[in-house]
Amino acid sequence: MENLTMLLGGFSVVLTMQNILVTLLGAVLGLIVGAMPGIGSLAGVALLLPLTYKFNPTTAIIMLGSLYYANMYGGAFSAILLNIPGDSPAVMTALDGYPMATKRNRPGQALFTSNMSSFIGGLIGMFILTFTGPALANLGLKFGPAEMTALLLVAMTSIGWLVGENPIKGVLLTLVGILIASMGMDTLTGSPRFDFGNMYLLGGIPFTPFVIGTVGFSQVLKLMGERNKKVEANLSQKLTIRGSMLTLHDIKRLLPPAIRSGFLGTFVGVLPGAGATTGSFMGYAMQKAFKSEEELGSGAIEGIAACEAANNAAAAGSFAPLLALGIPGSGTGAVLLGGLMMWGLNPGPLLFTNQPEFCWGLIASLFLANLLTLVIALGIIPFLIKILTVPIKILIPCITVICIVGSYSTSNSMYGVLVMFFSGLFGYILDKNGYSTAPMLLAFVLAPLLESNMRKSFISSHGSLDIFFRKPISAFLILVLFAIILTPVIKFVIRKVRSSTKSV
Amino acid sequence: MEKRKITSKVLIPVCSALIAVVFITMGYFKYGFWHSAKGPLPGFFPVIIGTILLLVSVLSFISSFKEEGTSYPWENWYPALGAVAVMLATLVIGMLPSLAIFVVVWLKWYEKYSWKTTLIVFAIIMGIVLGAFVFWLGVPFPKGFIYEMIAY
Repeated sequence: MENLTMLLGGFSVVLTMQNILVTLLGAVLGLIVGAMPGIGSLAGVALLLPLTYKFNPTTAIIMLGSLYYANMYGGAFSAILLNIPGDSPAVMTALDGYPMATKRNRPGQALFTSNMSSFIGGLIGMFILTFTGPALANLGLKFGPAEMTALLLVAMTSIGWLVGENPIKGVLLTLVGILIASMGMDTLTGSPRFDFGNMYLLGGIPFTPFVIGTVGFSQVLKLMGERNKKVEANLSQKLTIRGSMLTLHDIKRLLPPAIRSGFLGTFVGVLPGAGATTGSFMGYAMQKAFKSEEELGSGAIEGIAACEAANNAAAAGSFAPLLALGIPGSGTGAVLLGGLMMWGLNPGPLLFTNQPEFCWGLIASLFLANLLTLVIALGIIPFLIKILTVPIKILIPCITVICIVGSYSTSNSMYGVLVMFFSGLFGYILDKNGYSTAPMLLAFVLAPLLESNMRKSFISSHGSLDIFFRKPISAFLILVLFAIILTPVIKFVIRKVRSSTKSV
Repeated sequence: MEKRKITSKVLIPVCSALIAVVFITMGYFKYGFWHSAKGPLPGFFPVIIGTILLLVSVLSFISSFKEEGTSYPWENWYPALGAVAVMLATLVIGMLPSLAIFVVVWLKWYEKYSWKTTLIVFAIIMGIVLGAFVFWLGVPFPKGFIYEMIAY
């Protein structure tokens, strides 16, 4: 109850005309930057950080909060409309968002689902943050290297095993993604590894050009074969908010996965280093265990809702360790923390008692940003859908240009363009052969975290595997991991036995 | 006996197995696997993952013969050729002019759009590139050696 009173105090700080306008500005800019492929939330927050210099500390912090939060919404737009994720958490959104927009011809509903789920997930995350912030941060601290290793193994295995038709292909690409990520610097010692004597490979494979190529440029190559047939279908879209609204039945499908993922995402967001990407992947993986009206990956509302709600809830949840412990959950969180500290915020266990106006003002601004971003995001749906009414023949050179420019801008080097180009060809060949690239991208993002935690676990246990069974959290997660691996195998054996007894 | 056809479905697990062998070999012999005092070395994780990848590649290779082959129409590679042309032209005339020429050539000569449509699309896409990436973000796009020659 005390926390609720403090939150209301935070709202009294936030709800001035200047702060509302600043939140609105942060939301609009955050949406634009988040939707631009190649920029993403990390670069977005970093680029927009100087804008806050012109305001007083409280207003600046409020703007930072809304920038960060709107970025999380924006990443899904290009994923749904162009199959180019704006940032890494949106990789999973593209799996169902793009088919829903194009194959099912419901782009407005796909965007509506994404926005509503983001709002619900974010709201759940913020309420949990409000009532259990410091306690939640302490729970996150219970996750040592062994627990994090087990959790990451669960996330990777579940996606590799569950996405696509063939689990072997999913696992194969997961492992390829991990190996690609291991190129460059060693995560613990910093020594060069698998650079093959190449100066550029010393810095590893950059994520943004890699994802733009694998998902975006490969999509351009695929679209070449569909240049003529899709134009008519796209032109039948209703370009209004009303035409994009979800039906009651759609909302009934959206709510359960969004609420489930809201809770899961908040929990994942609290874990140090896990962040919104892990939340998004975990949310999607969890949805696989539940019933979906349409098959996941074919344009199911449940798929979009699960990952978008988890993504935004994780973004809210990550504020618990950020504020109470000073531990950012992601690179974006680290930039945000830097901005907050610049304005005099000293994160730590006593922050909630020593600097309540800062702290609760920020949390209140997240609530406000969540609401305002939803309103803006829903309002611009008709304009966004217009992208899909553009004939594919025109979209092909435009997307190619965005892929080249976006991949160049991340490193200011042609190396980024080359990575985008080759990963695009690679992604196209994989797609033609029935491989889903999502597990590879997930593995690529999480591999450094997995490796450093696994090696730390083995260092502390002197190579003994029992470190994963010493504490209940890691032991439970390892059991979940075995269950994920063994369930399809057992199902396969049962099917074989049944079919052989029938034939006898 | 039916002859087994070698398709890209078969080649993918072969390539992944080769990647696995490279990472296992380099990881074990060049970067090291385990040190009695330091614990896991830089090659530890890639060797484990490479070994699992090798096993999965074998399984995938076996199952790939049951799958139908796929085709790669020539037309689908055209954007890739366009991207290569842009990358090469970037070295000479810079990235922004190369992209501008690519958009116009593609729409006007390949897709046979009218000059009006071509120029509208050209203006929009170059407006986004210049507005967002050049003026706002200040990305220093390469200018090519012709510019460098004239400027210096």
